[in-house]
Amino acid sequence: MPLLEVKSLTTVVSGYRILNNLDFSVEENELRVLLGPNGAGKTTLIAMITGQFKPTSGRILFNGQDITGRAPDEIFLAGISRKFQVPNMYETLSVYDNVMVSLLTERKVFRYMFKRVTPEENDRIWEILEFVDLADKANDPVDTLSHGERQWLEMGMLIASNPKLMLLDEPTTGMTEEGKRRTADLIRRIARNHTVLLVEHDMHLVRQIADKVTVMHQGQVLAEGPLAEVVQNDQVKAVYLGKGGAH
Amino acid sequence: MAMKPSARPEARGRRIRRTRMFPLWALLLGALVMALIGTSPYYGGTDSYVVQLIGKFLCFAIFALSIDLIWGFTGILSLGQAVYFGIGAYFVALSMKINYTLTHPTRYGGKIPDFMEWNGLTELPGFMEPLMSTPIAIIGALVVPTLLALFFGVITFKRHIYGVYCAVITLAESLILQDFIIEYQAYTGGFNGITDYGNIREPAFLWFIIAVTVAFFIIARFLTHSRIGTVLKSVRDNDVRAQFMGYNVANYRIFVFCVSAFMSAAAGAMYAAWVGIVSFLDTGPLFSVEAVVWTAVGGRATLIGPFVGAFLVRGLEFMLSGSWFADYWQFFIGALFIAVVLWIPDGIVGSIGNWLRKRRTGSVRQIREDADQRAHDQQRDWEPAGARKPGEEVV
Repeated sequence: MPLLEVKSLTTVVSGYRILNNLDFSVEENELRVLLGPNGAGKTTLIAMITGQFKPTSGRILFNGQDITGRAPDEIFLAGISRKFQVPNMYETLSVYDNVMVSLLTERKVFRYMFKRVTPEENDRIWEILEFVDLADKANDPVDTLSHGERQWLEMGMLIASNPKLMLLDEPTTGMTEEGKRRTADLIRRIARNHTVLLVEHDMHLVRQIADKVTVMHQGQVLAEGPLAEVVQNDQVKAVYLGKGGAH
Repeated sequence: MAMKPSARPEARGRRIRRTRMFPLWALLLGALVMALIGTSPYYGGTDSYVVQLIGKFLCFAIFALSIDLIWGFTGILSLGQAVYFGIGAYFVALSMKINYTLTHPTRYGGKIPDFMEWNGLTELPGFMEPLMSTPIAIIGALVVPTLLALFFGVITFKRHIYGVYCAVITLAESLILQDFIIEYQAYTGGFNGITDYGNIREPAFLWFIIAVTVAFFIIARFLTHSRIGTVLKSVRDNDVRAQFMGYNVANYRIFVFCVSAFMSAAAGAMYAAWVGIVSFLDTGPLFSVEAVVWTAVGGRATLIGPFVGAFLVRGLEFMLSGSWFADYWQFFIGALFIAVVLWIPDGIVGSIGNWLRKRRTGSVRQIREDADQRAHDQQRDWEPAGARKPGEEVV
């Protein structure tokens, strides 16, 4: 049984079908890349899976349970963590605290009240900070970080939440080539231990990390399979890669 | 699949730099200030006006502290927090009034509060009889506002109403309560408020107020500087991210709102007992907004700020009250609020804190510029310095 299963998902916003009877699934321990031109519905799909919006019809099954239309915090507790396209974190907190708040623990108010950071949790936070190469800046407020560092910190926060499925929405937006290379490396290392669904535009980056890709177009899955096969697909060439093929 | 929790050697046992929850110098300074305040009746005379003001200001400071908890640390701007202050005050004032009239009959010999008599009541309404017992009145003064806050919190935050809308709703709540008190004057004293019920003005009670103030300060310090405090600040900074990280944001907001209401109610209850007069103004929007101004002037998101703000602004009002300036006081409060928001958004204490931090570590701008330079040197991506300052939004 796949970890995530999206069954005939349809989303209509003011008469426009953003997702059109979409079927899609992700297996456990997979690194799946979601490709597609602008407006294909990639971010909408992520928003549906994480409960930001409710679908018009269709079902989303995760780990055997139906999570369609649940609240974002419940879906997180079911095991799905999401990275937003624009770095999205707690601006006045330090880098360390950003990771600390994201650690997967009891989330209920009264159980949380007398919690302290245990030595194991502290070690875990430092381990994650080293993993994303921010240990030297643990004390700094996050608004002193560069754009790339913020992206990596948010990925560190996702690691801290120890999800069954990690959704990364265009983590390389606005990065330089060097930043992208380091991010690709980071995603590869994350994917060793986590199931990752990555939304990405940059073909160069996709080539470095993808084994299986799904191409979306107009709210539907256009093609799916290993990257090498998919880029040979004529339809894909036409809608996404342009007439000249991959650049 | 989980990453193995075994830390690599370099990660094990590293510690983060953190300010202590109760630094020694702050404890000493706090003890000194409280001792000065507490002994004021002995050298100032228990009935002196200044001592009366000090007790009053302490209650106001607790009230401002309760607003700081929700506004400064959780990002909820409530313009109706006086609802909880006022209900606490009215419970105690009514109870004291009812007991006072037993020994001090009215002009017509009635043993009920005079305002009830004026409004044609001949005996104490049944639902007010429990108030004859002081413990019940105190419990009511604390529990009723907290439950009311729970109710208002649930209907507001569970629907994801916050920011400006929340401010407007809380303002309306305060207006409703004020009108309610004016309308039902047979039971509340209406426009005249509740007066002539004596008061508890003795050094022991001042020490009690001080003890409660210290206790609330410690609770607030714990709530904001422990692990849950980090969660509250994360809700303030970015509630969307917090929700996508599994926090039920509404529940955290409701929780803090109730704690804040409890503190406001306690402040109101002590205020009524200390001052000996309560009026509808103590529940109204004007008073709520004034307390928000104290918090802003002192420095929100600092715990000393509300104390500094309350004592400073009210002290100033007291000093200027004899002059021609008194007529323009409300104008001044408004202008002060605008000035603080525009020029020192972090308030007095916050600005001093920023200045000290800048001296120690360099300004945020400096750090950011250094980071940009480093990133640039390392050919990493970077964004221009000073593009955006977080937490700038007031509401």
